[in-house]
Amino acid sequence: MRTSRRTIAATIAGAATLALVVTGCSAGGGDTSDEPVTLTLATFNDFGYTDELLAEFTAETGITVIHNKAATSNDARANYFQKLGNSGLADVEAVEIDWFTEAMQYSDLLAPVADDLKGRWLDWKEAAATDAAGNLIAYGTDIGPQGICYRSDLFAAAGLPTDRADVAKLFDGDWDNFFTIGAQYTATTGKPFIDSANSVLQGIVNQYELAYEDTDGSIIATTNPDIEAAYKAVVEKAIPISAYSGQWSEDWFASMASGEFAAMLCPGWMLGVISGNAPDVTGWDIADAFPGGGGNWGGSYLTVPANGAHVKEAAELAAWLTSPETQLKAFTNAGTFPSQVDALASDELAGATNEYFNNAPTGTILTDRANAITVATFKGPKYFQFHDALQNAVTRVFDGLEDEQTSWNNWVTEVSAF
Amino acid sequence: MSTTPPIAIVEESIPNERQRRRGERTTRIRGNRPGFVVYAVLAVVFISAAFPLWWSFVIGSGDASSLRERPWWPGGNFLANALAVVSNPAVNFWAALWNSIYSSFLIAASVVITSTLAGWAFAKLRFLGGPALLAFVVATMAVPQQLGVVPLYILFSDLGWTGSIGAIIMPALTSAFGVFWMTQYLRQAVPNELIEAARVDGATMIRTFWTVGVPAARPAAAMLFLFIFVGAWNNFFWPFIVLDRQNPTLPVALSLLQSNYFVDYSIVLAGVVLATVPLLLLFIFAGRQLVSGIMAGAVKG
Amino acid sequence: MSTATAKSPKQVRVVSFSHRMSRWDLKLSPYLYISPFFLMFLVVGLFPIIFTAVISFQDWDLVRGSGKFVGFDQYIWILQQPHFWTALRNTFSIFLLSTIPQLLLAIFIAAMLDRNIRAKTFWRMGVLLPFVVAPVAVGLIFNVVFADNFGLVNGFLTDIGLPAIQWHKEPFWSHVAIATMVNYRWTGYNTLILLASMQAVNREYYEAATVDGAGRFRQFLYITLPSLRPTLIFVVITSTIGGLQIFDEPRVFDQFGRGGAGQQWLTITLYLYDIGWGQWNFGRAAAMAWILFVIILLIGLLNLLITRTLVRDEGTRVVKLSRRERKELAR
Repeated sequence: MRTSRRTIAATIAGAATLALVVTGCSAGGGDTSDEPVTLTLATFNDFGYTDELLAEFTAETGITVIHNKAATSNDARANYFQKLGNSGLADVEAVEIDWFTEAMQYSDLLAPVADDLKGRWLDWKEAAATDAAGNLIAYGTDIGPQGICYRSDLFAAAGLPTDRADVAKLFDGDWDNFFTIGAQYTATTGKPFIDSANSVLQGIVNQYELAYEDTDGSIIATTNPDIEAAYKAVVEKAIPISAYSGQWSEDWFASMASGEFAAMLCPGWMLGVISGNAPDVTGWDIADAFPGGGGNWGGSYLTVPANGAHVKEAAELAAWLTSPETQLKAFTNAGTFPSQVDALASDELAGATNEYFNNAPTGTILTDRANAITVATFKGPKYFQFHDALQNAVTRVFDGLEDEQTSWNNWVTEVSAF
Repeated sequence: MSTTPPIAIVEESIPNERQRRRGERTTRIRGNRPGFVVYAVLAVVFISAAFPLWWSFVIGSGDASSLRERPWWPGGNFLANALAVVSNPAVNFWAALWNSIYSSFLIAASVVITSTLAGWAFAKLRFLGGPALLAFVVATMAVPQQLGVVPLYILFSDLGWTGSIGAIIMPALTSAFGVFWMTQYLRQAVPNELIEAARVDGATMIRTFWTVGVPAARPAAAMLFLFIFVGAWNNFFWPFIVLDRQNPTLPVALSLLQSNYFVDYSIVLAGVVLATVPLLLLFIFAGRQLVSGIMAGAVKG
Repeated sequence: MSTATAKSPKQVRVVSFSHRMSRWDLKLSPYLYISPFFLMFLVVGLFPIIFTAVISFQDWDLVRGSGKFVGFDQYIWILQQPHFWTALRNTFSIFLLSTIPQLLLAIFIAAMLDRNIRAKTFWRMGVLLPFVVAPVAVGLIFNVVFADNFGLVNGFLTDIGLPAIQWHKEPFWSHVAIATMVNYRWTGYNTLILLASMQAVNREYYEAATVDGAGRFRQFLYITLPSLRPTLIFVVITSTIGGLQIFDEPRVFDQFGRGGAGQQWLTITLYLYDIGWGQWNFGRAAAMAWILFVIILLIGLLNLLITRTLVRDEGTRVVKLSRRERKELAR
């Protein structure tokens, strides 16, 4: 395959050169060794890596950093795998946890993290990035410990407590407790309690050790009783109290300001979504609680492709960006909650508050939520596909297209074909 | 004569040159100005067609809450929003603008030239394998294009062209669509007798093409240029994969404005309006070509 | 014009030389004209197609750039997927809902623009505006128009006492919404194509017909349409190809871009994209591309035949108007 590809490419090169002359453009050249090193960094969404922050790195090392940002994590994913086996990736590439397991399959193409950095991150964050050979192949950036965001004004109207500590006490329990409170709210007000049913599915599945694939690579999706239980709970108990099936639709964004629902499952990065889309609403707050213990939603890593031009310097940049100090600055910039042990223990984090959320001490709350996380769900290479299909199954019931059993059966058929 | 004449046999009788000239005058005779109904229909079409641009400007001149509030009239923030786009160092607006202009121009020019030449041959010259080759070209359009990105990236990666504008120009220099369009248009627009006449006068093939084909092709070429230019201008998928932020085209640069969990659409749409202005200028230019070209092409033949 | 006519003592030899040149000119010119296109096309057009064909018979790993030959397994897998057949149904449904109204509307608007109107350039360029506005803006607008709860259409419907339409739940309505987006974007485009050809019709034919008393509609039917035949074939073929490859509009129809939870608006190319870029299975995606290729070819041929039958041949009816035919036309 590879040979034939090269041959074709070589044949084509002649014609390409001609066209190059015709169009008068020059191909991008490689840098010469004399020049000072310039590194490229590729991220998506908002990692909190501002130009000022990167300028600090340049001041320290003399290395210039060019920051490329993709609009969405999905764009970044397409870009990453398209280029990983060829060339053209940035010197440091961000990878989101959802598709990180896919990248793990190609861990041999990534430069391993230096041994002396091991232990910098939370155990489960590191464990997920360690390949079969025992190499740590990615630098953890942020994590998504979840609390519960709530509208205190709507809670008050429904006769629920509004004080942060009281609300935390209210939700201190398992998912059934959460569903019961939700059902009460919906019965009292006639309105949905939470934003979306699939956020609950995510919340439950992210508390299992195993979801769709076993650690040995075997598929357990349709036989894992936990998954069926999660589906059942979401369909029977979460759907009746949810405003939407999934998130990120126009209606969903609009509803954050309209007061259509009273609560959301809230990782650190969700705070910015809420305050950005409902800037004029007062009453949002966040409670230090999560059903069934702790839960992580999202978070990312930085990777260094092994075939880059400046692997050594790139590793230096990745290490600097994911140091506790830098990540704390990123948290201030963008709300990306640090995954580094030292950062979690810092005073700076403990003192962080959020004005929009009624001056809630978000630093302490999210640190508590991070410490409550005890399991990291094993996510195999096909996690994304399985979970996506299960979300669709929930949506089909939500939309009234299929009943609970039919939708489940269709999911089983669908994922069996993977 | 044992061999097939290379030029298609004239199957129909065509009015001679003098009659055709008369036809030019009658164009105006025939065209008594249409009534109110026609303008009313066209006005409805125009208003609905122009609405997205208007709406983009309305939202682009508002603030972050405009998309939600759905105003009907512009606010006063357009200049501020536009400035936010242009002055954002990460967006790299001016470099992107220049890249978009010259890459779209080269692509459109190349497609027009190669398509006109090939279209002329397919439509009006008879040669061995012609119909089969045309059918082949058309058939290749039926292969879904999304997948093409994979082999193309491998190719340009091997050539070391990733990140250069050449990588987005190269694959777009020809278009099967363009060849098919030119072929069908010239088939209809140029009477075979005209070519026959030119040949009888002893004109070489290239001269026939130049004096008969090119003038007739002008309106179709102007339109093809417009279509291809706009298509190249708005193309996102492939440039996004192969280019990077140091050297982007406009859609790639502007996509940065949407790279947050919370997107301020007033800034995004201000960027959209800015990116549309050069196209509107092109419209004014190409529109004239189209109208004058149509008249000239139809008459001079 | 040529040297052959020059008075020269060596006239005979010059003629024969020039004659030979002329023959070469005739024979080679066509190939010369198509060569710039084909040379470049071979590199960037054909290479991806061949590549796709090769990996459709493989279990192919994008990152490693290597694959294992699996014969027709990928094709068989696809034909066994219920999603594939749903996608095929959706593709045809959206195709019919968009292409037919779109072409009729385009012909109608083009006929309006073909009249001797004032400010021609303005109106002509106006119809193409939806084509130039960046897709992100058009996507946002239609999101607002067709949102299930807070959408403009549903707001209007509930205001006048009708039930809201579940655009993102019921397959038929999702197809209507997507077809609307398609028609919006491409009607002006086809209008201009048809207009350019209408303008190239010799105006004398119309004059003759007017003299004979034929009305505007009959002129359109008996002169304009037959003259447009090659362009109509072009428009029908390209619309078939574009319509069956529909991708952008269903992709932006919701925030996930994968055709809906119940595959309500999953189209073939959307499914292809999901298998390729979602599941990283390019062997299967390539096989699907070739299955779609065959489908498009079959439908394209069918449409070609239909168009040829419906629109009678150029010239025969118009140019060689016999006395009887003129009378017929005038009636």
